[in-house]
Amino acid sequence: MSKENIIQITDLTKVYGDGVKIKALDNVNLTIGRGEFMAIVGPSGSGKSTLLNMIGILDTPTSGTITLDRVDITKASEKERSKMRNQKLGFIFQYHHLLPDFNAVENVMMPLLINGIKPSNARAKAHTMLKEVGLGERVNHRPKQLSGGENQRVAIARALANSPDIVIGDELTGNLDSGTSEKIYELLRKLNREHDQTFILVTHDERMAEKTERIIRLVDGKITEDKST
Amino acid sequence: MFEINIALRNIKARRRQTTFSVIAVALSVAIIIVSMSMLTGFRENIIETTIENQAHIMVLPKENEDYISLYYGLEGFIREQEGVAAVSSYYKGNAAIQYRHNVEGAVLSGVRPVDEDRVLNVKKDMIAGEFESITRSGNRIILGSKLADKLEVGMDDTVTVSFPGSKPSDFKITGIIQRGTSADETLAYANLEQVQDFYGKSGIVTGIGIRVSDVYAVEPLADRIELETGYDAESWMEQSSEILNLLDTQKQFVFIFYLMIFAISGFSIANILTMIVMEKVGEIGMLLAMGTSRKSILGIFLLEAGILGIIGVIIGTVLGYVSCILLISYTIPVPPEMYFGLDHLPIRIAPKNFLTAGTFSMIINILAGINPARRASKMDPVEAIHSV
Ligand SMILES: Nc1ncnc2c1ncn2[C@@H]1O[C@H](COP(=O)(O)OP(=O)(O)OP(=O)(O)O)[C@@H](O)[C@H]1O
Ligand SMILES: [Mg+2]
Repeated sequence: MSKENIIQITDLTKVYGDGVKIKALDNVNLTIGRGEFMAIVGPSGSGKSTLLNMIGILDTPTSGTITLDRVDITKASEKERSKMRNQKLGFIFQYHHLLPDFNAVENVMMPLLINGIKPSNARAKAHTMLKEVGLGERVNHRPKQLSGGENQRVAIARALANSPDIVIGDELTGNLDSGTSEKIYELLRKLNREHDQTFILVTHDERMAEKTERIIRLVDGKITEDKST
Repeated sequence: MFEINIALRNIKARRRQTTFSVIAVALSVAIIIVSMSMLTGFRENIIETTIENQAHIMVLPKENEDYISLYYGLEGFIREQEGVAAVSSYYKGNAAIQYRHNVEGAVLSGVRPVDEDRVLNVKKDMIAGEFESITRSGNRIILGSKLADKLEVGMDDTVTVSFPGSKPSDFKITGIIQRGTSADETLAYANLEQVQDFYGKSGIVTGIGIRVSDVYAVEPLADRIELETGYDAESWMEQSSEILNLLDTQKQFVFIFYLMIFAISGFSIANILTMIVMEKVGEIGMLLAMGTSRKSILGIFLLEAGILGIIGVIIGTVLGYVSCILLISYTIPVPPEMYFGLDHLPIRIAPKNFLTAGTFSMIINILAGINPARRASKMDPVEAIHSV
């Protein structure tokens, strides 16, 4: 692969539990390039979310290292980790977790404000992002006034607001019907092409995974397959 | 700055529940302000009546002696002291006063009317006759209003004053005085020389009353007089120390109740915040994932406690003020024997009380916010996000 490496995972192991130990990840090695659009698949409990949370700096490995954009996150301080989550990573989860008392544009502004960007600039950027996800007309609506698919689009706009290098999505279409899911995947693909950001999507749905460029299969915390489509 | 925004929205979205905790805070602040204003009122009232009705310093005989002899020299010395406004020597003794078949015990004070008035402001309390009338030739006497009532005497009647070992003497009533205190039942004023004669003690007095210019700077002056003359000089503070100490003890005791009242309002803040935190677990997880620092999360919820607290304190302060004004204008009567002789609730509006109540309430409200806020800030983002 000619692309520059953005993520480098080396001998990554994660063990849960004090008494009964569960090896959620078992010596995983993985390299991901800038701008890749990829999926992680595998049976339930195989360690997909665990791996994604490690990449997202939401959880810490038992052993092994992860570097994001040449920074070893396993050695970073809490403050640096927060800063990296804010500036280098975008998150989309199964539940959108939009702030219910804020409208769409205010929700999208949130990561920008956390980053210390001036509210007027943040608002302009948020408007642009909402237009990109096709919600340019719904900026003043609150989550309650939007459909599940629309809310997930707002969540996508929010994840992309700070122009992160890496966007991770864990079952982000898990609550949506297949038609809506497909549209969301197409949207993500379009955004990936336009912004050259790395997308890593965990899914149960093999059909959705087929829409990506690369599929990693996890079984019992080990990578059993790594194929380009 | 986004922290303030989130805090405000969280509060606004739950207007009904947050209104309750604001009311709890407001009521607690108002109740405590009214209560503090009453205590301040009692204290100031007691001090004022004390300062008004008794000499600020009383110079009394040396230990084991009953009289002050050579009082002219002592009086002169006292007059020269800085801070002394007026001096009045007096001879005070017990006496029986008789009018026809009525006999009453009295405290007969022999004074120089001009001096006595300068020290105790007695002239303004005369309800009949002139205070200086006792200096006119012949035996003249002024009686306390209640004493006169009991004796069933009036102006120009003649009473007989007697004391074991003294020759009974007739005195003509030339005035009635009403000090407005219990002294009115026993008070009898006559001219100093005549009282000295009556008791057969010429040239000596039983005490010297002093009025000072600064009532709160009375202690050093009393100490100095005592040190330099050897006589016992008691300030009004010493004399009323018992009642003032009692009030201070009461204050500490009442403070425990204040804390309990504040605790209730604190709990209502803690309660609403805990509710908000529990409702927002997923969103807090998302905020953490988006890079919000734990300090910011802590800040958001402490801000919420602070905002609810400050609204409550402002409303409570206004409510407390209005209540005090109403209580003052309706002067609620109370039984005097229970309230140190005061016949109505003496409420004093002192800014210090408002400041103390408000500050304490704010401290408790913020403290109440600490636990839920810490819980929010310590959440594991992964668990929080998946906890829906
Ligand atoms: N916090 C935790 N404590 C203990 N065990 C955990 C924890 N998180 C995950 N596990 C365990 O680690 C293993 C991998 O879990 P993970 O959530 O990564 O699976 P997954 O592939 O995402 O599954 P699914 O498709 O059901 O979401 C599972 O056996 C799970 O029970
Ligand atoms: Mg999972």
